[in-house]
Amino acid sequence: MSEPASGLKLGQNVPDFELETYDPVKDDFGKFRLQDQIAGKRWTVLFFYPADFTFV
Amino acid sequence: MGCDIITISADTKFVHLAWRKNEKELAAVRYPMASDPTGKVGRMFGVYDDNTGLNLRGTFVINPEGKLLNAEVNFYNLGRNIDELMRKFKANLYMTKKTNEACPSKWKDEGDKTLVNPGAKMVGKVHEALNP
Repeated sequence: MSEPASGLKLGQNVPDFELETYDPVKDDFGKFRLQDQIAGKRWTVLFFYPADFTFV
Repeated sequence: MGCDIITISADTKFVHLAWRKNEKELAAVRYPMASDPTGKVGRMFGVYDDNTGLNLRGTFVINPEGKLLNAEVNFYNLGRNIDELMRKFKANLYMTKKTNEACPSKWKDEGDKTLVNPGAKMVGKVHEALNP
């Protein structure tokens, strides 16, 4: 495995990013933007996993 | 609890939809499932594996100001403990309110013993601070 390149350290501000989403509540596609979380004063938990249709 | 969980994999949003609708284990899932097909965000957090094109099992807690407060990364074959994630999240919330306290390893919930004003006086005296 190649070295995972991590630029982020604890205590750092996370650079803004945007990702397309599937939202099961609306049963529709949408977008997630970190900036929206900050604007809405919300905590965020990012939960990375290898792939759909596998064990998570 | 004022917190949004976002799951992220390299799959497209179309695959997320198909998986959510097919897998009965996911019937209760209500959080947005994000798609990071280029590994852009996975690389930023150091969990994207270029050799496999997949993300390791990384969990990251970001506070409302956008600051990264917790990081936990497991290899592919080790699942995460949701109780421990909840413990970390509750501890973060608590310490946001009580900025002069620290949550030790056995802290589970509000009311449990904390270390108050950890500083020079507590060096070598953590046992006494935890067991007054």
